[in-house]
Amino acid sequence: MNYLDLSIRELHEALLAKKVTPLELTEEALKRAHENKDNAFEFIDDEGAIAFAKTLTEPEENNPLWGIPYVAKDNFSTKGIPTTASSDILKGYVPIYDATVIEKLSQAKAILIGKTTLDELAMGGSGTTGHLGKTYNPYDPEHKRQIGGSSCGSAVSVAAGIVPFALGSDTGDSVRKPASYGGLVGFKPTWGRISRYGLFPFAPSLDHVAYFTRDVYSSAVLLDVLAGRDNHDSTSSNRPIECYEEDLDKPVAGWKVAVIKQILDSISNEEIKNHFIHSIECLKEAGITVDFVDFDNKLLESLYATYMVISCAEATSNDANLDGIKFGPFKEGKTYQEVMFNARNEGFSELIKRRFVIGSYCLMSENQEELFLRAQRNRAKIVEKTNAILKDYDFIYVPAAPSVAPSFDSASDRLSDEYLIADNHLALGNFAGLPSITLPLFLENGLPVGINFMGRAFEEKKLFQMANAFEKLSGLKDLSVNNKKEGNL
Amino acid sequence: MKKITKEVLTDAANRLLFTMSDEQYAKLEDEFKILIKQMEKIGEISDLDRYEPMTFPFDCTTTFMREDVPEEPLPREVALKNAGSKQDEQIKLPKVVL
Repeated sequence: MNYLDLSIRELHEALLAKKVTPLELTEEALKRAHENKDNAFEFIDDEGAIAFAKTLTEPEENNPLWGIPYVAKDNFSTKGIPTTASSDILKGYVPIYDATVIEKLSQAKAILIGKTTLDELAMGGSGTTGHLGKTYNPYDPEHKRQIGGSSCGSAVSVAAGIVPFALGSDTGDSVRKPASYGGLVGFKPTWGRISRYGLFPFAPSLDHVAYFTRDVYSSAVLLDVLAGRDNHDSTSSNRPIECYEEDLDKPVAGWKVAVIKQILDSISNEEIKNHFIHSIECLKEAGITVDFVDFDNKLLESLYATYMVISCAEATSNDANLDGIKFGPFKEGKTYQEVMFNARNEGFSELIKRRFVIGSYCLMSENQEELFLRAQRNRAKIVEKTNAILKDYDFIYVPAAPSVAPSFDSASDRLSDEYLIADNHLALGNFAGLPSITLPLFLENGLPVGINFMGRAFEEKKLFQMANAFEKLSGLKDLSVNNKKEGNL
Repeated sequence: MKKITKEVLTDAANRLLFTMSDEQYAKLEDEFKILIKQMEKIGEISDLDRYEPMTFPFDCTTTFMREDVPEEPLPREVALKNAGSKQDEQIKLPKVVL
């Protein structure tokens, strides 16, 4: 272990005490990034990171991110730094502005050391479809297992101890599912809580800025910095931001937690179920009421299709601006349509083309009512049911995934409840725009498995308090491949 | 619902300004076979007529006009920085009217 394996709080204390400098931290982070063999990076910014670190000489006591290195998924716009979203359609693109979250972190004097790879245009969940190929789970040195996606490189960077936090994005579960496979804290806030200006859109009604840390305190402190209204993003909320870490250690006894019975039933892995049931007993011993609640199984089975229809349809429309004319590789043609055709034909991978065609099919006039609008109506029904549970309970508590990180050659029965429900239920948080956090529960044969808490809209502070109580129960704070632990649950 | 055929998929791809190989269309047709079964799960949900299509999780919160404060526009050279085809400080494309 070295300083980079510490949480933001401990790192801040070390920086204040001048036991380590931002430059030393940055040099070590860059070294680890270059040495990493998990295929996590699109671009490592040695020059920019070192130059910025050299300017940070006087520690700032009230700025917990001062001098701390981090990475960002390569779908955040970064001024002067190549940004491709892991797609050839953006090869060579160098943005002329910073995303709001990048700007905020820069103002907080956190040090961006690189851009991480992802499933192409963030449309995937395996970490295998970006233009750099497969990204590997650092818990499996044989490179047979996924870390999950789409925020695969960011997940690797935190799990492998390269940086203490990493920005990602979450449209269905793209931070919270890899967090489960990587033993990480993966958090997405309420829709609108963090500005999305400069985040390349996938499906804006579902997209969230999200991030990875190795502990709950770090996650809460980051929201202090990242949350808030931004006039560049008309969907960002005007609600005042809070001090999200101030109540972390306050008691949680008396709170009520709902476990959705059908989600647990859809999981076949008995070891995961047993550990999860044990965790429920521990929560009860801590004074929390835990009840099993019902969620119409048919409605849950429709979740994945609803997600596919809405997200593919929105993506088809959003990515119409990727034409190689204003940015991205320009391709010659006899007409302007041919110019765009050639750029798009060469720039998109097969998977992206398939997703776009699916989206286009759902939007065809003959299909729009039956597919797209019906999916949107179904989303409303799913959200109504989710919010009804949260009227009676403070949180919904479920396993984040039905298994440890899958191997690259594993195949699922795509019509089974395990796939349709257990593997895709985290999208509930995107449909309803609710804050949601994944935390490690235990390790099965050395591979992490996570759980997820979802709270009411804009109740992030309370969610962090609950997550912090859980982290104490699990004993898995600061878990990484450099700091392996057994845990208590 | 429009029947899924290679022609329908080809038409959709061409409207999206790309094409796919025969092998890729075949793979997409196979994918649709599963996807349609998954979509049927939405068809099984009752009383959806009483729900409005949901476009965002919450009502969008921006309901005011921002202050009319003058700002510096993007300099032309910056705006054109990433364009691959340029001439005389403009993006150059094939003639639209011949």
